[in-house]
Amino acid sequence: MKDSQKRTAKLRIGALGVITAAAVALSGCAAGAPQADSGQKTLNAIFLPADWGKVVQEKLAPEYEKETGVKVNVELVGRDAIHEKMATLFAGQDSSYDIFNVDYNWIPEFGKGGHLVPLDNALPDKEDFLPLSLKVATWDNKLLGIPQTVHPATLWYNGALYNDQTMKDQYQAATGTALTVPKTMDEWLTQVKFFNGKTFKGQKLSGWAAQAAKGFGNVHTWLSFAYSYGCKPFNDDFTKSTLTTSECIGATERWSEMMKYMPAGANDFTYDSVTTAAQQGSIATAIQWSWGQFATDNPSASKTVGDWQMTTIPAGPTGLSSAHLAEWVISVSKYSKNTEEATKFAVWLESKKNDVLQAANGGGDPVRASSYSAPTLTEQKLEGNGAARFRRLPVTLEAMKTAQPRPFFPGEETWETTLSTELSAISLGQRGVQEGLSRADEAVDKNLSQ
Amino acid sequence: MTTTLTESRARKAIRPSGAPKGRRPKKLGRYLAMSPGLLFLAAISIYPTLYSLVVSFMRWNLSSGEAARFVGLDNFVGLLTDGLFWNSVRVTLVFVFFSVLIELVLTFGLALLFFRGFPGDKLLRALIMMPMLCAPVVVGLLARFSLEPTYGIVNQLMRSIGLPTTEFLGNVDLALPTLIAIDVWQWSPFLFLILLAAMQGIPEEVIEASKIDGASWPRIIWHQFLPLLRYPILVGVLLRLIDSFRVYDIVYMTTRGGPVDATSTMSWQIYNVGFRAFNISYAAAFSWLLLLLVLLAVNSLIRRMVARS
Repeated sequence: MKDSQKRTAKLRIGALGVITAAAVALSGCAAGAPQADSGQKTLNAIFLPADWGKVVQEKLAPEYEKETGVKVNVELVGRDAIHEKMATLFAGQDSSYDIFNVDYNWIPEFGKGGHLVPLDNALPDKEDFLPLSLKVATWDNKLLGIPQTVHPATLWYNGALYNDQTMKDQYQAATGTALTVPKTMDEWLTQVKFFNGKTFKGQKLSGWAAQAAKGFGNVHTWLSFAYSYGCKPFNDDFTKSTLTTSECIGATERWSEMMKYMPAGANDFTYDSVTTAAQQGSIATAIQWSWGQFATDNPSASKTVGDWQMTTIPAGPTGLSSAHLAEWVISVSKYSKNTEEATKFAVWLESKKNDVLQAANGGGDPVRASSYSAPTLTEQKLEGNGAARFRRLPVTLEAMKTAQPRPFFPGEETWETTLSTELSAISLGQRGVQEGLSRADEAVDKNLSQ
Repeated sequence: MTTTLTESRARKAIRPSGAPKGRRPKKLGRYLAMSPGLLFLAAISIYPTLYSLVVSFMRWNLSSGEAARFVGLDNFVGLLTDGLFWNSVRVTLVFVFFSVLIELVLTFGLALLFFRGFPGDKLLRALIMMPMLCAPVVVGLLARFSLEPTYGIVNQLMRSIGLPTTEFLGNVDLALPTLIAIDVWQWSPFLFLILLAAMQGIPEEVIEASKIDGASWPRIIWHQFLPLLRYPILVGVLLRLIDSFRVYDIVYMTTRGGPVDATSTMSWQIYNVGFRAFNISYAAAFSWLLLLLVLLAVNSLIRRMVARS
């Protein structure tokens, strides 16, 4: 063999080696999909990396394995990524994951596609669950998810500020009325205007804060105004957008007016921004999810431990107070090869004991009515403060009576995106309320027609 | 037939031995060696690209559970009459034009500064490179925190020197320029690297000869550097151009297309349509129009640069 031929042969062997190595590496990539341990029944679940997902991953799944021998791999994945994964996996009828943590507004979307396992017969004591929590987990008369946690929007107010005698006196002098927790939108606006720009405990205050970022934040805040003003964004069968009714216009005008009293940069405010502002004590009031209170009671991150109190969303002109509801449910994939076992786990997660345990570990507000009087929760105090750790629960329970879900139809995510752009334009003064809502109506109707 | 066979045998007979015999097996060997790579490329790139073209002529929503059906040009017609599409084209073109232009001018200047070398230049060069080493998602997150009006370091610094608090990401007029600035911050090092390497490759004799002829530095840069650097500039600009067209990460991490739709780039819109609404077919059509736009831009740039040279 000539030298050049030898070199060529060596090169070919080398190339073959590289190809083999690449093939091995690629087969390794395939191991990214969840694997089952041999001999042991394994479930694969995706949860939100919020506290209720972490509780499942760190405490409940290992406990379930001890009790039943069934291993549950819990992956924590962001909200958008869960939605994407569900759609793509379902389209491919993929059985990689058995259980999904689902934002309830996806129930109609995936329910319509027939991708979720009905759980009606699996849940033994439905009557203990908050009725609304079950209602939004149901599509086409089938329960497609077991409620895991509810978060109705509530009005937060800084109790230290509202109890401060100097503030009370100043408010009395300025408005002629006593400073009390606002019951109506008008009272709240008066207070927001009063507090805005005041200084309290060395912090310059803004009147209020809420999620306002484009995407879904501004829609979620706006919904609490809309519902309390009696605005219905759609006709009954979701075939026509009805955002230009007097109720919707009134709600939007009030929301838009109140945006002036939010902190700088509020148009970009997310849930975390509101939490930070509350922790710093730089806002007087807020519309925020009930569950978020735990963050302001965290002494390592908050200057306002024990200060924040809650009440229901102030009532609109007709006396109606109706919060926007946030809720996460646990659903089982129709394509799972272990639907029975997955259903058992989902039901177990929301047993009476575990509903309380999840809440006690910061995993969101309970979904069972009985949990709201559980001593484990009601008797807990904040260390070194004395305030009840779960002082929000009575308000959450009250809010759940009149709270309303996001428009419950399969195109809700697209609807949020569309409306969000127009709300962003309204709050930034790029468009008037009437013009913005008309444009939103037009865009939503176009989407519906497609 | 007999004649043909005989002729063929005769041709083989007069060929020098070795050369013709080995050609076919050698060619075959080459193709065999390339085939895994080609198959891999076909599986992960060519097939999905062609499939997306097929999908763009269908109506297919991933979450609906309904089967895809052929709708011809409906998606393309829908896009071309969609205000959101045209807005995203405008936003993308503004973003691409300004980010690449600023990066080019800035890095050309920087490269001129560095190509002669000075004390501490290596350290500075390493520092300049650092943003490029960060993942775009991290850069977006950093920008979000740094530019936050109340607690962000940029606004704190601005306030400390008496400037007003500014909503960089929440202001309709500032959001897109801010994203351009973030992109310039992150990706200028890339162009800098290309231009610096190219400048350092210019023969010293060329510069010396120009100096002896009495040329000033600006004339040397204009008449010597720019013509000699034409192709490295072209390559760098093309790569940045293609990269800028598909900007998505920093939009996702900072503005999510807002405020209003001031930063809603084409890639962001494609994400919204494809992965929030799961309208896969509409998103596929959108992607093909983006590809067309990129090809048009790249092609016209190459033509201009080549024509000039």
